[in-house]
Amino acid sequence: MDPTFRAGFDAALETAINAALEYDPGTRARLAKLDGRTLALDITAPSLTLVLCIEGDRVGVRRHWDGEITTRLHGSAISLLRLLRDADATPAGLGVSITGSSGFLAELQSIMRDLDIDWEAPLAQLLGDVPAHSIGGALRSAGRWLRDSLDTAPRAAAEAVSEEWRLTPPRAQFEAFAEDVADLALATDRLEARMALLQQRLARGDD
Amino acid sequence: MYNAGIVWQSRHKMKDRKTTHFGYQEVPVEEKAGRVADVFHSVAARYDVMNDLMSGGIHRLWKRFTIEMSAARPGQTILDIAGGTGDLTARFSRIVGPEGTVVLADINESMLKVGRDRLLDRGIAGNVEPVQADAQYLPFPDNTFDCITIAFGLRNVTDKDLALRSMLRVLKPGGRLLVLEFSKPESKLLEKVYDQYSFRLLPFMGKLVANDADSYRYLAESIRMHPDQETLKQMMADAGFVDCEYHNMTGGVVALHKGIKP
Repeated sequence: MDPTFRAGFDAALETAINAALEYDPGTRARLAKLDGRTLALDITAPSLTLVLCIEGDRVGVRRHWDGEITTRLHGSAISLLRLLRDADATPAGLGVSITGSSGFLAELQSIMRDLDIDWEAPLAQLLGDVPAHSIGGALRSAGRWLRDSLDTAPRAAAEAVSEEWRLTPPRAQFEAFAEDVADLALATDRLEARMALLQQRLARGDD
Repeated sequence: MYNAGIVWQSRHKMKDRKTTHFGYQEVPVEEKAGRVADVFHSVAARYDVMNDLMSGGIHRLWKRFTIEMSAARPGQTILDIAGGTGDLTARFSRIVGPEGTVVLADINESMLKVGRDRLLDRGIAGNVEPVQADAQYLPFPDNTFDCITIAFGLRNVTDKDLALRSMLRVLKPGGRLLVLEFSKPESKLLEKVYDQYSFRLLPFMGKLVANDADSYRYLAESIRMHPDQETLKQMMADAGFVDCEYHNMTGGVVALHKGIKP
């Protein structure tokens, strides 16, 4: 990608993050305590590397970083997003590999979960309190729906693939089949061992 | 502006004297700096507006990438040559913090004044030192800077080899030089579009906004006379830099060259 486009993307993302943080002083104060630390995200799908640098109470977005990386995460965009947002998510459970400080990641997870951006404040400045409150309510509902959808989307997709379209067997059916195969393998092994024993007896001429 | 008689005389003596290019013209070596100075005295007041207008604001992205590649850190000493109106200096000042220093250097007094005033207006002071200096003869001790940047300035320097050697001298071993400069577009189609833009639209905009078409025509011509990517990379290696490389931006309209002092 031409560095100009990439620099444009980074600048837009950085501006958006910091503009949002303007309306959440609590998060800014917590970020300031992590000043100088860096989080590298090696995103596999889409292929992209982002380095997020905590600079005071701001977040810088970089492509190149020659300094020390505090924590590096490697995984798909959805997995990384879930890891940062979901309280129960673990890197191993989401197929995300982590190098560096897990403490810094835990801090960021905690900050992301407690993120409380007052979206109504900038709207109120533009439109007044009453319309801003209505729009803010709609935005909050949309946010909840999006979060719920993100949580349930992988499970719903898996169910559709196996139960509705029958492209893959349902989990229970697959597990029963796998158990049967394991039993069969065990029985075959026993039979083989018994046959070997009988052959030995025949060779010795036992009755 | 220049006295026509002096220019006439100097042109007639040119056969016996060493010359260099000033846009598409050949001028005696000792005249180029004065002529470039006149151009920048003329454009200084509206330099930022014109930069935004001419590049559609993209120069900010080119400079952002330069900052990233500088790997600047708190406490470092950085030299911003041809720093003009202080765009890079402002960002470096924030990165190096109160323990570091950024030297804003420009050969042109008008540009330096505009840059210094603009930085002060934005509350950027304390770790910034404006210095009027010629890139060919940098007035600093050997091994002083962790990083040197020169953005859209090298093409205006009379003796680029001399300037590169001067930069090498004042860099600390392991320090890096970053040259951000207009270069040669990678595609022929882009080159044609770019030519039309530079030689027709650019002087027109210069006339409209700054009432100075000639200066902006010089800017377009000087870009064409500047060494292309590979040539500049070789010049840096010849000057003594190692690990020289460049990144094309916007299809090669601009290139960022990087070299390390061994």
